[in-house]
Amino acid sequence: MSKLDLSRRQFLGVFGATAAVAGLAACNGTTTSTGEGDAEGDAAEATLSGSISCSGATSFQPLVEAAADDFMEANPDVSIAISAGGSGQGLSQIAEGSVQIGRSDVYAEEKLEADQCEGLVDNQVCIVGMGPIVNASVDVDDITSDQLKGIFLGQVTNWSELGGSDAPIQVIQREAGSGTRATFEAAVLGGETAPDSFRPVAEVDSSGTVVEQVAATDGAISYVAFNYMENDGIKALTVDGIEPTQANVESGDFTIWAYEHMYTREDEDESTAAVTQAFIEFIMSDDFAETVVEQGFIPMGDMQVKKDADGNITAA
Amino acid sequence: MANLMPKRRLENIGLGITGFCVALVALVVVTLIFMVAQQGLTTFFVDGLNPIDFFFGQNWIPEQERYGALPMIVGSFAVTLLSTVFALPVAIGSAIFVVEVAPTFGRRVFQPFIELLVGIPSVVYGVLGLYVINSLVKAIFGDAAPTGAGILSGSLVLAIMILPTITTLSMDALRAVPNQYREGSYALGCTRWQTTWHVVLKSALPSLMTAVILGMTRAFGETLAVQMVIGGVERSMPTGLLDPASTLTAALTAGLSNATSGSVYYHALWSLGLILLAMSLVFILIIHLIGRKGAKANG
Amino acid sequence: MASSRSAELDAHVRRIDSQDKVATGVLTVIVGLVMLLVVAIIAYILIRGAGRALTPGFLTNPYNDDVAPGILYQLWDSFYMLLVTLVISVPISLGAAIFLVEYAPDNWVTSAAKTAIETLSSLPSIVVGMFGSLFFVVTLGWGISILAGACALTMFNIPILVRTIQQALEDVPRSQRDAALAMGLTRWETTINVLLPAAMPAIVTGIVLSAGRVFGEAAALIFTAGSAPARLNFGSLNFLSPTNPFNIFRPACSLAVYIWRLTSEPTAGSTEIVWGTATVLLVCVLLFNLLARLLGKLLSRRLTAE
Repeated sequence: MSKLDLSRRQFLGVFGATAAVAGLAACNGTTTSTGEGDAEGDAAEATLSGSISCSGATSFQPLVEAAADDFMEANPDVSIAISAGGSGQGLSQIAEGSVQIGRSDVYAEEKLEADQCEGLVDNQVCIVGMGPIVNASVDVDDITSDQLKGIFLGQVTNWSELGGSDAPIQVIQREAGSGTRATFEAAVLGGETAPDSFRPVAEVDSSGTVVEQVAATDGAISYVAFNYMENDGIKALTVDGIEPTQANVESGDFTIWAYEHMYTREDEDESTAAVTQAFIEFIMSDDFAETVVEQGFIPMGDMQVKKDADGNITAA
Repeated sequence: MANLMPKRRLENIGLGITGFCVALVALVVVTLIFMVAQQGLTTFFVDGLNPIDFFFGQNWIPEQERYGALPMIVGSFAVTLLSTVFALPVAIGSAIFVVEVAPTFGRRVFQPFIELLVGIPSVVYGVLGLYVINSLVKAIFGDAAPTGAGILSGSLVLAIMILPTITTLSMDALRAVPNQYREGSYALGCTRWQTTWHVVLKSALPSLMTAVILGMTRAFGETLAVQMVIGGVERSMPTGLLDPASTLTAALTAGLSNATSGSVYYHALWSLGLILLAMSLVFILIIHLIGRKGAKANG
Repeated sequence: MASSRSAELDAHVRRIDSQDKVATGVLTVIVGLVMLLVVAIIAYILIRGAGRALTPGFLTNPYNDDVAPGILYQLWDSFYMLLVTLVISVPISLGAAIFLVEYAPDNWVTSAAKTAIETLSSLPSIVVGMFGSLFFVVTLGWGISILAGACALTMFNIPILVRTIQQALEDVPRSQRDAALAMGLTRWETTINVLLPAAMPAIVTGIVLSAGRVFGEAAALIFTAGSAPARLNFGSLNFLSPTNPFNIFRPACSLAVYIWRLTSEPTAGSTEIVWGTATVLLVCVLLFNLLARLLGKLLSRRLTAE
């Protein structure tokens, strides 16, 4: 009898202890930020210190990593942790406040509920242009926007319909939810959707894989950001005769592009807000613009047009 | 009396510590089931998706808010069944050979060999599948499989992965058959093959079935190796074995990084997780049922 | 009449005889093919990756080295995360196994615990990963971190460990246990002083074998420990810094996750790195298997010698 009592008591104890452990762990806090606001330094040279974390879209992660390297070199007391996970993760985490910067290829409003967007600050740090690419063996060099739309709606299925040789068009898509895909479809499909029966030959998780698959598949077509276009086995198409270049995006002639967003919070802790702000300013600065261009992105400064969340392009 | 107390306390401490460990494990499992169920059911009870549309819907197109899980459910079952069909004869065949025909060779050489296969991480199988099997399938079928990715490639990779599981468990099953059975059969003048076919396999059947189910459990839940080779097309139903498709696990891997927590898409992904969880419970149940039936048959 | 009878029997004997031979032949071919497959797989990976894996700097350079990118950080993260995982999972598994072998009352509590462990063992690793991404990362607030990753790996590891330790304890001869109990030792003392030492070789072997499994796991880590290669500073003394190698609250990327990441987001030249990393991973796992066997033999020899 006593043995039974005992085990029951022990089990209660166990549950209590576990709950306590869980509670403690929760108190341990989420952020990796250990910044100390150094407010007292001279106004001339206030040294930045603190650590922030930045998570989200993988498309411009290398750019942000390069920026973080430069920035940490200039500010040795700052550390910036960069993790990947996709736009969705970046937006969720900034909405929860578990990171200081959330990277996204799309507007937060498109992925988050309205109440989650409250308090988020949209920093558009640069622009990414995208365009259609095809397997190098495809004998078509220019495509009209209507033809492009037709292909991705599953209406145009053979290269001969575009003046090429008789070969089936193999559509390679990005996965559902990808920011690149959302941008491309918004600019090209104009709100129309492919019929349910339409099946791409692959839905892949990243631009790098798109390049590999397009290069390996005869008659393949897909789309990538400008910085992926210089690869063996693929070629970029001109759209309505316009080349996918930085200058054409800046002038507004080439319309498939989107902003790269780095979301921050209005109510960010004072200890890290200064670092976050300085880091974002650094990425958008003229000093860093050269690296931005090098990596195939377009700095904000030279744009003559702007795009709103609904995709309408107006003069800046 | 006073002398005995420390002993008793010691015993209680031991019971407490070890009991705590067991309770912790049980608690984590309960939390897991609770959380997956809670998140997964939110889709139906809060977001208001119709379960029938979810389970039998043939289109998974998140940007249109359409969440039909049938393409992935079919994909998961297709690769599981097909890989079992590929692996089963080979696994049982090898098990028979090394237990009935060449037992010493089996123990000394074959067993360590097959255990090497178990040790290879699943991403490595994925890499092999991506660079070798997909290219092979593409080379063999040409335009019918433009990228080589699809249900067939996924099943082939899985077949190699579950081969060691089924083989080693089948070997155990065959070894567990009492030798008297074999001797009795030989004494009646039966050949080795007759003995194996009519006596050994028959009496090991329940354990062999358990081996197969455990292999299927692994195939059904395998994630990255499949995700890397299957093509990831979730929007509509696959129409053939060379068609790129997706599985529940692959859809989760691809989807979780794009979905924002709290969205319908996110909850729908958890519902896929819930299906996976439910299926692994079903597999356990089947194994228990086989075990009970086997025990009953043996008296 | 009699002769046709015997001819019939003769034919039957010949038939079952050839049936037996054919069956044996087919089985031999199957086994031969399986062994060929194993050799082919391992040889292929080693040959494809050896060139890269043996390149100077591959094991000692960080991933972002301009000249010769390596896998130093991933290698460190893999071993460190494994260590954290074992520190968490070994005591729990030991305790749970002892409870199940020594104390477990024959009632619903025990069978519930057994069912729980069995459930854990059959869960797809991605489900463990997604649970971890919500429970450890968000609910407990650890963030994407080594600790969250190690806990996910622990869930994956516990059923394997509990089963091997349980087996090891049960294999200790009944007489040793009875002798200890007859001397008036409590079950706890018996376990600590008699059973555990006797079962130690098997337990160590089991732990090292399970380490090999954990080492190659990736799906459970992607959403708990992260998939971006960590950036480490081995000179860092600030244990809360995300670049400190020992900080368990920083994100990490293991070898297996790195392979997955590079195949799903290839860059120029990444295919070679994938094969190189796969080779290193495979060699590590094979070494774990070898080590397990050697340790088991060594320990049992030492114990029996004493």
